[in-house]
Amino acid sequence: MAEDKPVTTAGTPAGPAAGRPSARPGGPPGAGRPGGGRPSGPSLFPLLAPYRGTVAAIIALTAAANGLNLVIPRLIARGIDAFAAGQLVTSTLVTEFIAAAVAIFILTYVQNIVQTLASERVARDLRTKIVAKLATQNLPYIQGTTTATLLTNLTSDVDAVKLFVSQAVGSIVSSIVLIIGAAALLLSINWELGLAVLAVLPIIAVTFRVVMGRVRTLFGKAQQAIDWLNKVINESILGAALIRLVNSQHEEYQKFVAANAEARDIGLGILRLFASLIPIIMFCTNLATLLILTLGGHYVIAGAMTIGEFTAFNSYLSILIFPVILIGFMSNVMAQAGASYGRIARVLAAPAPAREGTRAATLRGDIAVSDVVMKYGEKLALNHVSLTITAGTRTAVIGPTAAGKTQLLYLLTGLATPTSGRVEYDGHPIGEYDKESLHAQVGFVFQDATMFNLTLRENIAFSKTVRDEDLAKAIDTAELKEFIASLPQGLDTIVSERGTSLSGGQKQRIMLARALALNPRVLLLDDFTARVDTATERKILANVHRNYPGLTLLSVTQKIAPVEDYDQIVLLMEGEVLASGTHAELMDTCPEYVQIYDSQRSTQHYESVQA
Amino acid sequence: MNPYRLSSGERREATSVIGAIRRLAPVMADQRRSIIIAFAATLVASGASTTAPWLIARTVDIHIRAGNYPGVLTSAALLLAVYVTGLIATYVQTLQMGLVGRRVLFNLRNAIFTKLQELPLDFFNQNKAGDLISRINNDTDKLNVFFAQALVQLAANLFLMGGAALLLLMLNPRLGAAALAPAVVVFLITRATGSVVKARNAASLQSLGALSGEIQESMSNFRVIVAFNRVDYFQTQFKAANDRNYAASVRAGVLNTFFIPLYGLAMNCAQVAVLGYGFYLITRGQFTVGLLIGFLLYVNSFYMPLRQLAAVWSSFQLAMASFDRISDVLALESNLQQLPPHEGVDNAVLAFEHVRFGYAKDRPVLRDASFVLEHGKTYALVGPTGGGKTTTASLMARLYDPDSGRVLLDGKDIRTFDAGERARRIGFILQEPFLFTGSIRDNIVYGHEGLRALNDEQLAAMLRAKNLDTLLARFDQGMATRVTAGGEGISLGQRQIIAFIRVVLREPEILILDEATANIDTVTEQQLEQILNELPPTTTRVIIAHRLNTIENADEIFFINGGELTRAGSMQDALDLLLHQHRAS
Repeated sequence: MAEDKPVTTAGTPAGPAAGRPSARPGGPPGAGRPGGGRPSGPSLFPLLAPYRGTVAAIIALTAAANGLNLVIPRLIARGIDAFAAGQLVTSTLVTEFIAAAVAIFILTYVQNIVQTLASERVARDLRTKIVAKLATQNLPYIQGTTTATLLTNLTSDVDAVKLFVSQAVGSIVSSIVLIIGAAALLLSINWELGLAVLAVLPIIAVTFRVVMGRVRTLFGKAQQAIDWLNKVINESILGAALIRLVNSQHEEYQKFVAANAEARDIGLGILRLFASLIPIIMFCTNLATLLILTLGGHYVIAGAMTIGEFTAFNSYLSILIFPVILIGFMSNVMAQAGASYGRIARVLAAPAPAREGTRAATLRGDIAVSDVVMKYGEKLALNHVSLTITAGTRTAVIGPTAAGKTQLLYLLTGLATPTSGRVEYDGHPIGEYDKESLHAQVGFVFQDATMFNLTLRENIAFSKTVRDEDLAKAIDTAELKEFIASLPQGLDTIVSERGTSLSGGQKQRIMLARALALNPRVLLLDDFTARVDTATERKILANVHRNYPGLTLLSVTQKIAPVEDYDQIVLLMEGEVLASGTHAELMDTCPEYVQIYDSQRSTQHYESVQA
Repeated sequence: MNPYRLSSGERREATSVIGAIRRLAPVMADQRRSIIIAFAATLVASGASTTAPWLIARTVDIHIRAGNYPGVLTSAALLLAVYVTGLIATYVQTLQMGLVGRRVLFNLRNAIFTKLQELPLDFFNQNKAGDLISRINNDTDKLNVFFAQALVQLAANLFLMGGAALLLLMLNPRLGAAALAPAVVVFLITRATGSVVKARNAASLQSLGALSGEIQESMSNFRVIVAFNRVDYFQTQFKAANDRNYAASVRAGVLNTFFIPLYGLAMNCAQVAVLGYGFYLITRGQFTVGLLIGFLLYVNSFYMPLRQLAAVWSSFQLAMASFDRISDVLALESNLQQLPPHEGVDNAVLAFEHVRFGYAKDRPVLRDASFVLEHGKTYALVGPTGGGKTTTASLMARLYDPDSGRVLLDGKDIRTFDAGERARRIGFILQEPFLFTGSIRDNIVYGHEGLRALNDEQLAAMLRAKNLDTLLARFDQGMATRVTAGGEGISLGQRQIIAFIRVVLREPEILILDEATANIDTVTEQQLEQILNELPPTTTRVIIAHRLNTIENADEIFFINGGELTRAGSMQDALDLLLHQHRAS
């Protein structure tokens, strides 16, 4: 899915309520787009293969319980006959009856328990499988598929499959067995009438196929609508502050109602189909009864059939009817599960990112970017960028907003892959390196804060390789010691989701400490200093210099003053390297750099006072 | 505990059918017509399905035995009429109840969403997005299933059972009592276990909510997970939540499925009781074999619906557990109430009077802050990170209410203004601006009717008039550029520019910039400053920034740290404070 650049949003079913684009040509093929156009998903039954034994047990238990259920009427009939003949031994009858009843109870309950266990296990394993698959995927895939879709896959899609296992598997198989048995009995009594009666089965089958075909498409759409709902809710939660500031609750409500109405309308479409399906099937089987009455009545009157046979015919038909209706009900479950499993299967079948490298050497820190082009959709984010960084040096990347600075850092961590060109560490292409080894040596401080719902300790020592002394050093370096000391629970304070209890600067420093705790060979800072006051920033950078000797530093920044003494400053504009060199060189040769410098001069007066 | 933290699975009382109907009544109030139609259709359908066998039996007895084929055909026509009636009735019943389910689902989802929109920001700090989504989607759907499939069945079955029970008792009170005794026993068992059933279902739902919370968090933070080699973290966190969900669901499922076999057993017990006792009565000459056979049929018509009720029962408890989780949200009330208007006291545009505030009550961020902001002036808030700058700004915009003291807008308590008025007067660019998935245009006109009504040319003209058009030039497709809420493919600086345009376009009286340009390059920033200078002269600006150039033109500077807000006389004062600060955060 190399074409699925994160910028695409077409994977989600809809844009905002107003001006929702009807069709977006050139949307990503397949990327997380749930299969509206593809009505048939993969078969559900291969999914059950690993649970063969359990499924067999379910079927056997269902069959046994059903069989025993047929015994009860016979016991009653026999008891009444024996009583009428004066030969009844009441105690025997009662004993037999109770034995059968208890056996049915136990069989049914065991069957239910096995079904519950099986369905929950299938659900759990399926979720585990999806997550294991996601774990091998790269960032562009996850971003292209969107959180809302993956959330639907892992919850409501899996639930639909679960329902299929818990309700449909046993009843469908035992229903088919009953239908075949009853059909054989019908044919053995009177094959002409039997055939006439069984003629309704193809009618039922055709009705099923037609309705199911349409329902499947609708189920796909229904899940898309749920994705859309998820997205609207999610954005209304993440944007809660903005919504309250501009008082746009009403607008959010409108968006939600649009998504909700879509979900309702699709639901009603499905409902109309099903509301007609089950009565039609029942009506078909009733027609069979009608056939028996008219045709069978004719045979009996003509003497070709006995009354007893006629009665038997009727009772076998009633045995036939129930499973047919049951399958009708279960088809709903099956259709939903089929559509859902189709979506899940697409996640599972998505190709894993290409070739994993194996090089795990310790990095020196030489970085070479040669002639890299990177596209976001149509837009060039980086345009033939080349850059050389020597191990142990400090490099700053400066440039206006949207110059491609962040993308450059993503390339250097392997979070994004270039459209063309090469990225090398110590003379080896980044692809040759083992991902884990690379990530353990390249610390990346992201621009926006990402906090986990864990303790501060776990947030900072997020990588598993962090030892206690690494943690302490990182906290010292990021100037977090005082802050942590001020917390009643210190490092064991739980950070809430989205880090809402922390200030912007605190979050930024925690992010830095998280990267430093790796003891990285290369440190990438993405606009780290934007949220930290100048005094703290200087302290921190000095700390880094002192505590992490030999570190190769690449800092994306807006401010020239703190990086004036860096070994190299790269000026990036509109995805192109405009100039690079030391501060002095750039001041001499690059008018754009001078312009940026001048724009910051007034500040420097104060900041030099402050320093 | 914070009043906005949603409870996580405390034990609740089981819901009786009547209690449930009372609680669900408001939800179904406007659905009465559909429910009545569906109920009537159900009765017609079950009437049809019981008439048909009787009709067949009659035809056999009267016509077939007599060799009267025309009579058979007449009966067949009658039977066809019965079947067609059944067809229509079943269709009407399924459709109507499905409609009820869908509409209830629609209304409930809207109600929860509306409630979420009414609740203050604090609520969202307390609850996980994934769990809230689960409540809106999964829990409402459980109710939908209950309404669509179970409710009418419940009502119709109770009706049929009542009739059958009455008949049994009327035919022979003692035999009837024997037939009904097992039903009473299972009823008592069901009642006794009700609270456990519901608690287990609630725990299962709760674990599902936790699971989606986990997925939500991990998927949103995937890049950090990848960059720090912690895919295993994602997997173990997920595995723990998945296993908990498995255990809770199995515990609920094992109990939920207990009732169907139990009710089956009750039916068999009733049959054997009737048989044994019936034979005894016959030998005593008080009953006949024919009556016994009839009696057994009525036993079946009492217990068959009862068995179906068992299946409905767990669906019912599940629905009620879901309804509890929904009600938890619906019951929350915003503590940001609007006060009745009162006369203003002075002409300051915004003022703090002895404001004290903290996110947790024992850790105040502001202790006793008082200051006055005047029309047309520029104010800067400086101080170390975590000192309380953003909190002060949030109080100005009433994202929170002070614990004590007052915030005054135009001399009146800010709580007397409605949200719309507040939004018109105060523009606030947040530290990390949020964008909705959609186009840039969608985002800049967001939440503003007047702007939204403009066509592209008018909007472009307005942007030009404010010099905002040049800012849009850096987006490859201008206003039509698509952005996502996750911010993929768009930098923080770009998001800040969009947020800047969004706010400036609305010409607020008070403009709060919370590090609003922190990630924007300095050249562009000068451009933004130019735009700010051209705002109407009455606009009051409140600027939070670390970069000192952004605050050098401030008329007044406030230094905020350690719960104290100090007025710095000049830039030099502010620098001294920053230099000699002792970080108290």
